Amino acid sequence: MEFLNHFGGVFEPLALMLLIGGTVGGLILGATPGLSPTMAVALLIPFTFHLQPVHGLILLGAAYTSTVAGGAVSAILLKIPGAPANIATSLDGHEMAKQGHGARALHLSFLSSGVGGLIGVLLLIFLTPLLSQWALAFGPSHLFWLAIVGVTVIGSLDSNSFVKGLLSGCIGLWLSMIGYDDIQGAQRFIFHDALSGGINIIPALIGLFAIPQVIDMFGKGRFITEIETVKVPKQQFMNSLRELRGNVRALTIGTTFGSIIGLIPGVGGQIAGLVAYDQTRKFSPDRDKFGTGHPEGLIAAESANNAMVGPSLVPLLTLSIPGSPTAAVLLGGLLIHGIFPGTDLFDNHPQVAWTFINSMLIGQILMVAFGIYTAQWAARIALVPNSLMASAVLVLALFGSYSIQQSMGDVYIMLALGVGMFFLDRFGFSAAPLVLGLILGPIAEANFIQGTQIAAAQDGPWVYFLTGPLNMLLIFFAVSSIAFSFWSNLMASKSKKDGLAEEVTK
Amino acid sequence: MTASRLQHTVMSSAVLAVASLVTWLSFTEEPAAAFLFPRMISVFFILFAVWNFIRAVTGLAQVGVGITPKMAMTILPGLAVALVYIYVAADTLGFYASSAMAFLAVSTLYDPAPRSDIQSWLKRITITLGFMAVMYALFAIVLKVQTPTGLFF
Amino acid sequence: MKKLAKGFVIAATAVATTWGVSALAGDFPDRPVGVAVSYGAGGATDFQARIVTMVAGNKDMLGQPVYIVNKPGAGGRVGWNWFATKAPKDGYTMSAYNVPHFIAQSIKGGVKYSTDSFEPIANWGADPAVVLVGKDSKFNTIKDLVEFAKANPGKLTLSGAGLFVGHHIAALQLQQSTGTKMAYIPTKGGGAAAMKAVIAGNVLAGINNLSDGYRAAKAGNVKILAVADLERNKEFLPDVPTLKESGYDVDNSSVNFRGLMVPKGTPQSAIDTLAAKVPAMFKHARVAKRMKAGGSPIKVMTRAEVQEMWKARQKALAGLLKGL
Repeated sequence: MEFLNHFGGVFEPLALMLLIGGTVGGLILGATPGLSPTMAVALLIPFTFHLQPVHGLILLGAAYTSTVAGGAVSAILLKIPGAPANIATSLDGHEMAKQGHGARALHLSFLSSGVGGLIGVLLLIFLTPLLSQWALAFGPSHLFWLAIVGVTVIGSLDSNSFVKGLLSGCIGLWLSMIGYDDIQGAQRFIFHDALSGGINIIPALIGLFAIPQVIDMFGKGRFITEIETVKVPKQQFMNSLRELRGNVRALTIGTTFGSIIGLIPGVGGQIAGLVAYDQTRKFSPDRDKFGTGHPEGLIAAESANNAMVGPSLVPLLTLSIPGSPTAAVLLGGLLIHGIFPGTDLFDNHPQVAWTFINSMLIGQILMVAFGIYTAQWAARIALVPNSLMASAVLVLALFGSYSIQQSMGDVYIMLALGVGMFFLDRFGFSAAPLVLGLILGPIAEANFIQGTQIAAAQDGPWVYFLTGPLNMLLIFFAVSSIAFSFWSNLMASKSKKDGLAEEVTK
Repeated sequence: MTASRLQHTVMSSAVLAVASLVTWLSFTEEPAAAFLFPRMISVFFILFAVWNFIRAVTGLAQVGVGITPKMAMTILPGLAVALVYIYVAADTLGFYASSAMAFLAVSTLYDPAPRSDIQSWLKRITITLGFMAVMYALFAIVLKVQTPTGLFF
Repeated sequence: MKKLAKGFVIAATAVATTWGVSALAGDFPDRPVGVAVSYGAGGATDFQARIVTMVAGNKDMLGQPVYIVNKPGAGGRVGWNWFATKAPKDGYTMSAYNVPHFIAQSIKGGVKYSTDSFEPIANWGADPAVVLVGKDSKFNTIKDLVEFAKANPGKLTLSGAGLFVGHHIAALQLQQSTGTKMAYIPTKGGGAAAMKAVIAGNVLAGINNLSDGYRAAKAGNVKILAVADLERNKEFLPDVPTLKESGYDVDNSSVNFRGLMVPKGTPQSAIDTLAAKVPAMFKHARVAKRMKAGGSPIKVMTRAEVQEMWKARQKALAGLLKGL
């Protein structure tokens, strides 16, 4: 309960100002295409030079929380996921926005972010010692199997064709291997100079999600009759709240997966949203509605990716191991002020530690408030005509993909992937499993190589990868996930055949 | 609506060709240690690609709407602008100049208003300038991104 | 028409070039200067680069702010390849170097750079490699560790941040000098991942940066057994012996020197201006305070000193890596 004693620090005038500034700024930065939470936090570090450590951390904590949620804004409105965490958000969220339900989508997204986020931070407050043990339990073999569990999700994720889902995943895995291999430094699949830096995830996301969208808008042509006329109804906040209450299952699955997976260093944050989305779909009676603008998917994805924020800091705060790129940047923000995370932080600077954590707690609430406030206004973006929307997204795609590394190579890759994805998309392949492959490829590979090397020095790869309770548990998950996909695929094609037969007999 | 068997076959053979290339490279390139993982992946990749190809040829592939000739024609001009913009203009003319041109070009191409309508031209030019001003404020002033300047800026 | 267009392009290029040159001749730098960091945001190199350049905007320093661009991948190869081949050679684009990393990689081959591709500006830090073990490890001294390695050839797992980086060099030297064979496990994701492997007990021991090791030891997560440098680090780890004084012939080849460089072909006037101004920036009191607070050892070296150091490292590493 020590954290309660430090709430005062959050409500000092300067602290509160920074908290509000960080939240609003974070929402805007997060909504800017091409600015991942990591980049946004890194951009803010110089500002903290001039602040007290406590105040600097308040700013960074608020910004971290709200950039993750802000990424949902561009994912929903423009179908440009701000970060890997927001991929699953865009799947249903953007469909809702296109149908004029952008405000509802944003309300639900911010509310579920808030719920997930609060629970995540509370876990951070109360269960830190326990969680840090869990974070360390994952060695290379476990992380390898975890990545494989993630890969098995591919078959069932946002694709109506089982084999095409798997094939999309394979394409993603292959794309992830392009460039210099990380350990040996060997060159792989570098067909063009622009590829020598590998395929970076943020430009890839912009290309794979936003560009097919732009080309689709081209395809609608310039005839008024073919341009969809959407209405943007006013969304009452209370209705959104009621709708959220009706989706407790999605919220629970999202928060649970988000906080459990988010904790695992190096893997969690990126796939928590997608895994939660997939699990919610598997447990949902409305399985077929996912991907068509179904709020359940949105709620699961957003609660998961904000639930991960708190737990993802556990390895950093207790063991000084940054578990995610953003945590690494936050570590820098601490070190600049001479504060070393770990026991030092909680023993010698409890004021700093707890104020930081509390600021994330309050930041969640502020973020929801600001998000809700602007949602109705932002949702009007659906009224923008196709011609202007396509132009704007195209220009944003260029600036967004360039600004990450200031590299034209990234921009070229972005459009090439986008155009390729458009054609794949037209034939039943989908971007979500492809991106999952792109994210999981390097994780699976690095841990496989590392695991085999450690195994070679111990009892050999079979013992290392195939024994131990955690390995067995993860393998069990992977196998049952594949079995479930096969089974539901079989059921689906059977019922489809029945449906066809019925139609014919009619 | 679903794409024709021929279209599916063309698409799936393209994917199969990529899969074959990847598999071949994975098993022939050196050093072998760095290609261990690509080898594992490529086996699955080609397996699924073959499966997908067979489904397409036999007409089992049903998912996906394909591309109609009419749609291809409406897409083409916009796609051409996008390709020239990203691959040629952005670097040589400068980000802001080329973006303004591309914005105006795309919005004009797909604006339902007739081309002779002066008012719609004015509207589009104003929007273009306004949007570019926002982009400049966001990326150049707030985020301080140094974009290629090319011939103009 | 074509001729006209061509003439226009030539004229424009001419204008651009003269503008560029005159800008250089005048008060260089007159716009912000970029520093490309070949490692991810939040890594030790990125973190230190941001600190040492934080006063660049002051009137008596560069007079222009410095911004950081991260180009991570493949142990730094992606960023340095880009820097050697594609970076503008106008003095407005610098890169952070890590020695011995880029020199060892260029000796090993497969990259587009060597010491001849770059012009050093100045050095800001020297971070020696340390040998460390988890807090509950049975090894309490470097002697214990070496004895175990001798008794169990190839069984001592040792994590480090990749191949052909300082940690790898230290591991090679340790094995050579003790006549043992250890299993060096390169991790992806830099020193942090290698440190996690040690703390979580995935490996028996690890090699890491002194700055990161010092922090982890202070947090009570690891024990530091030895430093791979010529003398003890008095500031942070006065009680930890060097490998040399423990009787193993390991010199300072693996010490991670960090500094700034520009690509070859940058105008000499720009190099001279930077080389004159940058060391003062590294020595600024606020920089020193922040670096010390973060546990990062400072070592400011001028352009001439860095050139010497690069030459010496090139020679030493070529010998060490010959057999690999």
